[in-house]
Amino acid sequence: MKIKFALAQINPVLGDIEKNRKKHLEFIEKAMEENANVIVFPELSLTGYRLKDLAMEVALPPQSDFFNPILKKSKMIDVAMGFVERGNDNNVYNSAMYIENGKIKSVYRKIYPPTHGMFEELRFMGRGKKVTTFKTRYGNFSILICRDLFHPSLLFLAYAQNAEVVLGMSNMPLRGVEGKKPAIEETVEKAVDTYTSFFSQFIVFVNRAGFEDGMGFYGGSFIGTPMGKKLGFAGILKEKLTFATVDTEEIYRKRQLFPLSREEDLNIIKENLDAILEANNERV
Amino acid sequence: MKEFRLNYELVKEFIIEFIREETYSNGFKKCVVGLSGGVDSAVVAYLSAEALGKENVKAIIMPYKDSDPASKEDALLVVKKLGIPNELIDITEIVDAYFKGNVANVRKGNFLARIRMSILFDKAKEFKALVMGTSNKSELILGYSTWYGDMAASLYPIGDLYKTEVFEFARFLNVPERIIKKKPSADLWPGQTDESELGASYKALDSVLKLYIDQRRTKEEILSLGYKKELVENVLNRIKKTQFKRTLPPVAKFSPRTVGLDFLYPHDFKV
Repeated sequence: MKIKFALAQINPVLGDIEKNRKKHLEFIEKAMEENANVIVFPELSLTGYRLKDLAMEVALPPQSDFFNPILKKSKMIDVAMGFVERGNDNNVYNSAMYIENGKIKSVYRKIYPPTHGMFEELRFMGRGKKVTTFKTRYGNFSILICRDLFHPSLLFLAYAQNAEVVLGMSNMPLRGVEGKKPAIEETVEKAVDTYTSFFSQFIVFVNRAGFEDGMGFYGGSFIGTPMGKKLGFAGILKEKLTFATVDTEEIYRKRQLFPLSREEDLNIIKENLDAILEANNERV
Repeated sequence: MKEFRLNYELVKEFIIEFIREETYSNGFKKCVVGLSGGVDSAVVAYLSAEALGKENVKAIIMPYKDSDPASKEDALLVVKKLGIPNELIDITEIVDAYFKGNVANVRKGNFLARIRMSILFDKAKEFKALVMGTSNKSELILGYSTWYGDMAASLYPIGDLYKTEVFEFARFLNVPERIIKKKPSADLWPGQTDESELGASYKALDSVLKLYIDQRRTKEEILSLGYKKELVENVLNRIKKTQFKRTLPPVAKFSPRTVGLDFLYPHDFKV
């Protein structure tokens, strides 16, 4: 299956969901003109990142009419976007949803919201518990959000459910200016290279651009492929829309050349995890 | 090719984007920079001119009667190199109208810094501009600046660069060599220099700061690396003693949401 992705490396306005919805619609339009199949926005693309007390003010339930104009557009193009979710449990979450053919296909809640140094997410939002894979018209997809991508265990859970494409939606600020590239970019590329190589998945990494309170989100969006290619690189720091077409046949080829997935035994992992958990619980 | 510690091409691109976005998204197009003739304000002027366009950066030069004449000349050299609009405002009369007779250097120095701040903010109002701050990381962390004086600004473009890095960056940006080479000084009274006041060279101070701030090494660990006790204690004491300058004043809290404690909105909240 060939899939043409649009990587929407946008710079949302902090806390202004009206302006940001307009920006989503504009980028969706542009992606449709290029006949893209799926457009992927960054984490919290509807709201901006450093919300703090604004989180509860911009939170929306996924069923909100506010999303209707975007749902309408999704007849022709699938849309993955980030927002602050007001959950049925009256908590708010850093979430992302996948919209296909006028309907919400899946909502994912970030599992590891970082809370240290400049990151304060758990102070204002809850955390998700589940990595899921959902079947789209283009294959099995999973969503992971930003810090989640630095936990290989979550990539493994997507792989274990046969995710062919992982959408890595991010708001990563730049740090580390000693080298040729920002240190954070090196870290992400290393991680994506490793995951795509051993899990034979595509990772569509979309990171935002722009500044909030001095934090500068570095952009650098790209697609990593199972054969180690890097497609659709959007460059750093600036708002950009790039396109890249992937062929999921590459997963089949890679998995025949390097049949790790055939060797995988989830029962072994489960037995080991159970034993580890039991031992850890005893220790406490 | 000179050996630089940082990728200044990247630093430059990043700071220029920062200046643009933080200026435009806060509803401004212009900035004012107080040009002292020193390397920090020169670097900030160079970056601001490239970020906002030279016509949108107004240099304000504010000599006092005791200022080193070279300070004004060097500030004018930056103005000439960049071709930016400028205004020269002698603050002697304002200052001398308040202080009659002799007064301690630090009192007078703080007053000069705060008069310059008042003028910069007034000029910012006049030109519908932001005040571009010129504080560097060494100065901010050592608290070596006047609270609500030279510390007062809308943005700190070079606030994450140590002084020794500012020198390198200035060289990378082609700031005139004579500005880079002269002894760093706030020039608040004749003969003042940063390094004699701080009691160590920036090279020494920055090495300790990097270990303590960025690598989170303990005092004992830094001492075990061979740094002198006097230097390390000097740095750590300055950080502790000046922490108040880097925070909002505490509010006596009794309501559900209090400024500084739980009324927590981002700086860049513009809804």
